[in-house]
Amino acid sequence: MKLIAIIKKEYREIVKKKSFIISTILTPLLMAAFMFLPVMLMKMGKGEKIIQVADYSGFIYEKLLQSEKTPSTAKTAPGGRKADFNRDYVDKNTRAEGSKLKFKKIATAGLAAEELLKQNIQAIRDKKIDGFLLIPQSIKKDRKLFYYSGNISDFETNKYIQATIRTVVSRQILIEKQINPEIVNEATRNIEFETIKVKKEGTAKSSAGIEYMMSLFMLAILFSILMGYGQLIMRGVLEEKNSRIIEILISSTDTQHIFYGKIIGIGLAGLTQVAIWFLFGMALVGKFSMGLDSGILNFLTLEIGLYFIIFFLLGFFMYAILFSIVGAAVNTDQEAQQFAAPISYLLIIPFVMGIMVTQSPNSSVAVISSFIPLFTPTLMFMRITVSPPPLLQILSSIFMSLVFISFLAWLGAKIFRVGILMYGKKPSLKEILRWIRYK
Amino acid sequence: MNEQALSLNGLVKDFDGKRAVDQISFTARKGEILGLLGPNGAGKTTTIRMIMNIIAPDQGSIEIMGRPFSDKMKDNIGYLPEERGLYRKMKIMDVLVFLGELKGLKANMIRERSRRLLQQFDLDQYEQKKVEELSKGMAQKLQIIATILHEPELLILDEPFSGLDPLNIELVTRILLEKKKEGVAIILSTHLMEYAEKIVDSVVMINQGRKVLDGKLTELKAQYGKKFIRIEYEGDGAFMSGLDYVKGYKDYGREMEIELIDLADKNRLLKELSARVSLNAFQLTEPSLQHIFIRKVNEGVAA
Repeated sequence: MKLIAIIKKEYREIVKKKSFIISTILTPLLMAAFMFLPVMLMKMGKGEKIIQVADYSGFIYEKLLQSEKTPSTAKTAPGGRKADFNRDYVDKNTRAEGSKLKFKKIATAGLAAEELLKQNIQAIRDKKIDGFLLIPQSIKKDRKLFYYSGNISDFETNKYIQATIRTVVSRQILIEKQINPEIVNEATRNIEFETIKVKKEGTAKSSAGIEYMMSLFMLAILFSILMGYGQLIMRGVLEEKNSRIIEILISSTDTQHIFYGKIIGIGLAGLTQVAIWFLFGMALVGKFSMGLDSGILNFLTLEIGLYFIIFFLLGFFMYAILFSIVGAAVNTDQEAQQFAAPISYLLIIPFVMGIMVTQSPNSSVAVISSFIPLFTPTLMFMRITVSPPPLLQILSSIFMSLVFISFLAWLGAKIFRVGILMYGKKPSLKEILRWIRYK
Repeated sequence: MNEQALSLNGLVKDFDGKRAVDQISFTARKGEILGLLGPNGAGKTTTIRMIMNIIAPDQGSIEIMGRPFSDKMKDNIGYLPEERGLYRKMKIMDVLVFLGELKGLKANMIRERSRRLLQQFDLDQYEQKKVEELSKGMAQKLQIIATILHEPELLILDEPFSGLDPLNIELVTRILLEKKKEGVAIILSTHLMEYAEKIVDSVVMINQGRKVLDGKLTELKAQYGKKFIRIEYEGDGAFMSGLDYVKGYKDYGREMEIELIDLADKNRLLKELSARVSLNAFQLTEPSLQHIFIRKVNEGVAA
């Protein structure tokens, strides 16, 4: 009964916090932004760009204009960015979906390139035009082209102009040499490189990059939750210790009730938050699955969600106990930060190793370290996301974590019992270990 | 009404080789206020923590209502720790409900009782405010409410008056007297002897971990008899140190407590005083608790 009162109080205290509400709402929004933004940005476009073209070669501008009129919807296909000489003018694959380009021809007859350049640079500075494309007469020979713009880091536009003109020039040369472009096209066709992930049931097309990103992303979420709630517990315990309210609690109920009630209460709050995110994510994926990269969709399965919750809980209890011991042992916030640092390193180590684990999830280092209980919640979870290990390994790592947690809880309750009533100087590690033997 | 509520038997507690509490024994009875007195660091708080089972004694035993301590008893004790604090971010009513539930009460009953007590303590308009919005004195009163909320039979209050203004001291005193009348055993730990003197029925004085005095207040004072003279005066009292028939005196500036070697010299003293200072009061009295305490401590040192 008293245990429930403590759980209830801890739970309510967290859930009513503004920071809880904000992070509950904000995190999925950030997550959504992370998943949808690249796709949306490509779709929304960046507005129209006006580019003046001085075409001294005489044959390129017309082709450019044709490409501009061509509506393009194709997404960037994997691996394909090679010119298609069979088509007249444009390599659709590099067509910038975002920025709509508008080319304008300037008369070049009898005008020196330097003169035009000066005028157009001024126009760019005055923001009358966005870019100036200078195509020298010798383009066929030199294969060189000049593009002036206020923004030369618009990768898509640059790539598009370059690829289009390369195709146009190459084709022109072929025609002049009387070679059928189709033959060249056939001979130089790209080889597509498709990555297929082998799963337990069937196979799924997936892009390695996204898998890798998502895996790290989930790890980052796990890491920040464990850190965030750990700190929250630590500060909560410290507050009770410093305000001496702990004496009232201890004189009302068992220390174990206080210790476990606190961790369970805050754990439930954390679980609430994760559950909200989970439901939110499911709804989002369900509703907008069309807009998502299939790699992300393949990644976010129910199975992964369940594992996330299991490993979240394991990690939560491990680190919550460690942080609450720190909160009980120290006296001030500064001391707490000092003692919490090594615990944070314990969390950072698997985070750093995570990169290695995503690359070679079955290497012996990855396998062994995923069985170290303090690392299991992060590393075993990563291994599952990248390349699911045998179920026996997963279950035994969970079992080992549970054993470790029980041990930690037993130890923690003892240290907590003594530490929470020790005021004054900062305890040394030796003293803390001695507390375990106190009755 | 003199049933035993709490009895300590030879309590000993060491901290890192230093003896903080040394063979403390005393008994508190129902319907009685017991003053646990002593200077800061005397071992009062350690003794109380052992009573509350917060720390375990190295030796000795504690009986509450005639039985050894058990977890069940926690619901029957109200404890106000020396250094106070409550959850700053929680609302007043939520704090009371939480602490009440920890004492095994049902939420509805807590709310009902809390409203009554908040009104009694003039805090009713703060029911939905957060603890951090309260002044220090108000927070103190709130904590006293939390201590008596579950209507315990044994109240242990560690420095309950510190931080309270005179009006609130009176209020708390009144409540304590009410509780006493209801038959509650009250242990009042304080180093402020002037306050204690006014309300305690019996006294346990400790110094450096040892009990130096134990008994009913009236009996203790009778022991020393009316051998003391209390004066109120205006002027310079420094000449007192030169009078050879004065055993000791305590000069408070406008008041003085004087002990004579032989009480027969009181008229001589009066004469001397009338000549040297402007005298407002001259009274034969019992020694103050503070005086007794200092005497006892000095005796201990001498022995």
